[in-house]
Amino acid sequence: MSLSSPAEVSTATYAARAEKASKIYGSGDAEVRALDEVDVEFERHRYSAIMGPSGSGKSTLLHCLAGLDRLTAGKIYLGDTEISSLSEKRLTLIRRDQIGFVFQAYNLIPTLTAKENIVLPLALAGNKPDQATFDRVVDTVGLRDRLGHKPNELSGGQQQRVAVARALVSQPEIIFADEPTGNLDSRAGSEILGFMRRAVDELGQTIVMVTHDPSAASYADRVVFLADGKITEELLNPTTDSVIDTMKRLGA
Amino acid sequence: MIHLTIRNLFARKFRLFLTSLAVVLGVGFMAGTFVLTDTLGSVFETLFSDTTKGVDAIVRAPEPFKSSSQRITSTRPPVPDSLVSQVQAVDSVRGAEGNMLGYALVQNKEGKAIQTRAPTFGTSWYREKKSINKSLVRIPEWKGQVSRQPNTATEVALDRATATEGNFRIGESVSISFLSVPPQTFTLVGVFEFGGSENGLAGATLAAFTPERAQVLLNRCPGAVGATECPVGAGQWDQIEVVGKAGSSEVAIRDSVRRELRSQGLNYEVITGQQLADEQVASVKKNLSFFNTFLLIFALVALFVGAFIIYNTFSITVAQRTRELGLMRALGASGGQVIGAVTFEALVIGVFSSVLGLLLGIGLVKPLEGLLSAFGLNLPSGPMQILPRTIIVALVAGVLVTLVSAIAPARRAARVAPIAALRDQSLPPSSGRRRYFWGALATLVGLGVMAYGLFGSQGTNAALLVGVSAAVIFLGVAMLSPLLARPAARILMAPSRKITGKLAAQNAARNPRRTASTASALMIGLALVTLIAIFGESAKQTFATAIDEQTKADFVISPKGFLPFSPEIASSIRSEFRTEFGSPGTVVQYRDAAIAVDGSATSAFGLSNDFQKTSNVEVKNFDRAKFAQGGILISNAVVGTNRCRAAAESKIPVPCRLGSFLPVRFPASGVEAIPVAGVFNDAKAIGYQGDYLISLANWSQRFTDAFDQFVIVLHPDGVSTAAAAKVVNRVAREFGGVKAQNKADFKDSQLAQFDQILGLMYVLLLFSVVIALIGIINALALSIYERTREIGLLRAVGMTRRQLRTVVRNEAVIVSVFGSLLGLVIGIGFGAAIVTALRDQGISFSLPLLQLVIFVVLAAIAGVGAGVLPARRAARLDVLKAISSQ
Repeated sequence: MSLSSPAEVSTATYAARAEKASKIYGSGDAEVRALDEVDVEFERHRYSAIMGPSGSGKSTLLHCLAGLDRLTAGKIYLGDTEISSLSEKRLTLIRRDQIGFVFQAYNLIPTLTAKENIVLPLALAGNKPDQATFDRVVDTVGLRDRLGHKPNELSGGQQQRVAVARALVSQPEIIFADEPTGNLDSRAGSEILGFMRRAVDELGQTIVMVTHDPSAASYADRVVFLADGKITEELLNPTTDSVIDTMKRLGA
Repeated sequence: MIHLTIRNLFARKFRLFLTSLAVVLGVGFMAGTFVLTDTLGSVFETLFSDTTKGVDAIVRAPEPFKSSSQRITSTRPPVPDSLVSQVQAVDSVRGAEGNMLGYALVQNKEGKAIQTRAPTFGTSWYREKKSINKSLVRIPEWKGQVSRQPNTATEVALDRATATEGNFRIGESVSISFLSVPPQTFTLVGVFEFGGSENGLAGATLAAFTPERAQVLLNRCPGAVGATECPVGAGQWDQIEVVGKAGSSEVAIRDSVRRELRSQGLNYEVITGQQLADEQVASVKKNLSFFNTFLLIFALVALFVGAFIIYNTFSITVAQRTRELGLMRALGASGGQVIGAVTFEALVIGVFSSVLGLLLGIGLVKPLEGLLSAFGLNLPSGPMQILPRTIIVALVAGVLVTLVSAIAPARRAARVAPIAALRDQSLPPSSGRRRYFWGALATLVGLGVMAYGLFGSQGTNAALLVGVSAAVIFLGVAMLSPLLARPAARILMAPSRKITGKLAAQNAARNPRRTASTASALMIGLALVTLIAIFGESAKQTFATAIDEQTKADFVISPKGFLPFSPEIASSIRSEFRTEFGSPGTVVQYRDAAIAVDGSATSAFGLSNDFQKTSNVEVKNFDRAKFAQGGILISNAVVGTNRCRAAAESKIPVPCRLGSFLPVRFPASGVEAIPVAGVFNDAKAIGYQGDYLISLANWSQRFTDAFDQFVIVLHPDGVSTAAAAKVVNRVAREFGGVKAQNKADFKDSQLAQFDQILGLMYVLLLFSVVIALIGIINALALSIYERTREIGLLRAVGMTRRQLRTVVRNEAVIVSVFGSLLGLVIGIGFGAAIVTALRDQGISFSLPLLQLVIFVVLAAIAGVGAGVLPARRAARLDVLKAISSQ
């Protein structure tokens, strides 16, 4: 793992970066260090996964990177922008314009159709979707014939595809996915992971995904392992087996 | 279960607070109304027992017939002065003196009348030693100077409140105007308290003169016109007050006086002091009960609206707790236990809010008094009366409303199946077909009953029928309204192309039933506001048309207070015109009169012979000569009825027509068959809805009083209006107690009175509207709680706080505008129906469009206001916590 200082790196290389990121809950005896001076960066046009046991701080790291949560100390850069000190309002606009989200479940607004859900971030910004981009994204996730349906008329896998499409359609700087396949069966799960892979390969997207599933992690270009709020290991071009091996080693 | 219920309640204090508030306000309004009217009742009770303090018996003339209830003045004639000595001569009587009450208006030092809406009176006060009636209690000192009773014709005593208001000192001069003599100046010699308490007069003013002087000033000296003091035997009294010799009871004294007078062939009514007090209290209580009912109607409307809020809140919370209820069922709770738990929750809320409401009601009495006085209704105050009845009714009403409103949600809760514990969505709403059926049925039945009430029945029954059917229609429409909620949401947000509008519309459409019942609460208030606006506008327009198109007037003379005024004013104007311009002009007098025809009391209107010059009242076959000699005009409705005689002396009834004679009972002269001098279609032009118009001829023989209600003046031709105005104003000023206005001003001031009453009703309805708005706040807050995760997601994908607040506020606006539009439609319907039913009374329908538009705009603004709090709560939600919430 290269612990490079910001001065040595062209900022364009990284879509997101954490610098001595700490997140501490409680104080005194009850103090919990969810993140303990974490330094990590995520390159553009790459598919990264964050893994670690429960309570390792992987979700906290993702939330802080995505501007949903604030650090206790340290800095988060999104592209060139240092976001940890931004106002709530600026953060919201960054989430809207530069970040895409895929959550584990309940990703969609139940009153809106699939199409409306997909273009929601654009609508919030008051923009019209670029038709070509929209078509490409919809075709990528194979939702053409489901656009008029409400979420409760879609299967779980279809709902997650809508969520992925929503994350893609605004062509964000980076997409954060928090256990995107956690609620799906393995077939629907691998479908979603496949779409995300294609988004990186074909559309040039950047994706950072938290997962505890080794086979999901194997879709990524790189896996970062977290334990007790610290980066402990990283793996390039992982396979399911290599991820399982690493986990075993770390768990031991 | 009970433990769980209470924990549930207090876990969400904000909701508990809002839900309770809906009941608290209604109960408070109700309790406040009772306390206010009970307090007033007790004030008047004291006042009237004070009036007869020290009086054992009353002698007065019998009432010739019971006058119809709308009249203020009695038909009872005065008694002659000579009766005093006759009563005095009775063995058991120690003392007897005449008493009276008449119109006297005191002016302050700037020449302005000291007057509220309460009457202004003058009376007689006997010299210290002789006085029987002890109700006037002299204050020994006033502002450091000795206060005493008036002894001469130029002296006056005033009640304490009036003396204070006018800032008078002993020895200062006081100008007072009367109805039948010009204003005079007196020297203040004394100040008194009525019944010995500071505010004993309940807002009225009272000036006391020596008895002989009072007779002259208050029109009780027909035997010596022009005298300064009425000589003994020339005057009259309203009644004679008697005090008996020591040792005899009131009843014994009454009976002996009665016997003695009867034995002398004198036909007078003798009652005890207590009977008189009871009689007066009863008549005031009757008026108060009308007032009480008037306010209670608004309180009931507020409670009715509160019931919607309770129903809605319980429906929502039951839906939200579906999983928990399912779990309880799965763990073995029976349906009955679930109903019990929800009902118990309602009971706790009901008791809690009723107690709070009762306290609020007591606190509300003063503001309510203030409100009424702001609308010109000054009420006397006294020690607050909180009767057990008030407490019981308020508590029962509050608890009952809460329990009844919670029944349907409780039953729905009991239908939750155990399997619901495992599902994640809340209950899918049932199809609602049954609900729509019942809603349609209720609406139709309500409409039918209302139609019957308006067109098929009469009196109190009709009012009750209309009220109840209105409530049923509200319920029916509320049940049907979910059908309209979805399209309404879509249409209302159509102008907004933004995502915030769209999301708001879809949120509102998501649960049409919830949106509709929240809106329905507001619908009720708006429907009634609309109804009042339409009714008021129709009445105003009708009145304005009568003035504009049916009346010719340069000036209208009308009383400053309620009581009619001296006919001398009309005569003075005629003679002044003649002196100044050489012609009397046209001066038409209008007079309210109580008569009885065919054995039943009715009201008639007395008119000068040339009334057609100023008022457009069409008369067929008008025999002017006959009318001028004391004839009568009858309405079309009377023609053909068997009330007439063929000749003045005949006893055989014949159908009424031109030329026949109508036997009329007059208060003073008794029955007299008078010639029918013409037939009129309607007398809307003078605002009269009865059947009889009579000439002013022979008036003083026929009636005990000769006072004008209003006078219309057309100045002589060729004279400038300004010059004529000078004369008319001078006469009005000289007499006092009346105002002279040109036609436009008269119309405006009359319309302003309508507006005052309408304004009061709007403010009273505001209560219901506020409760409905609380309902909107509550429903939105609950919906937001339910949608926490969704809101988190929206915020995560980039919705700003401002956008989120806009969405919530838009939702509130949808609900409020939807509710107010529903209300508007119903209100217009009710208004049209009621105005149509009153067509006979000369009211024609007119729609205050601008006002109605303003109502809807105000409702929208109020909706935005109602949305503020829930919007802020939604925007404050922590994004991460919201996303991960269940």
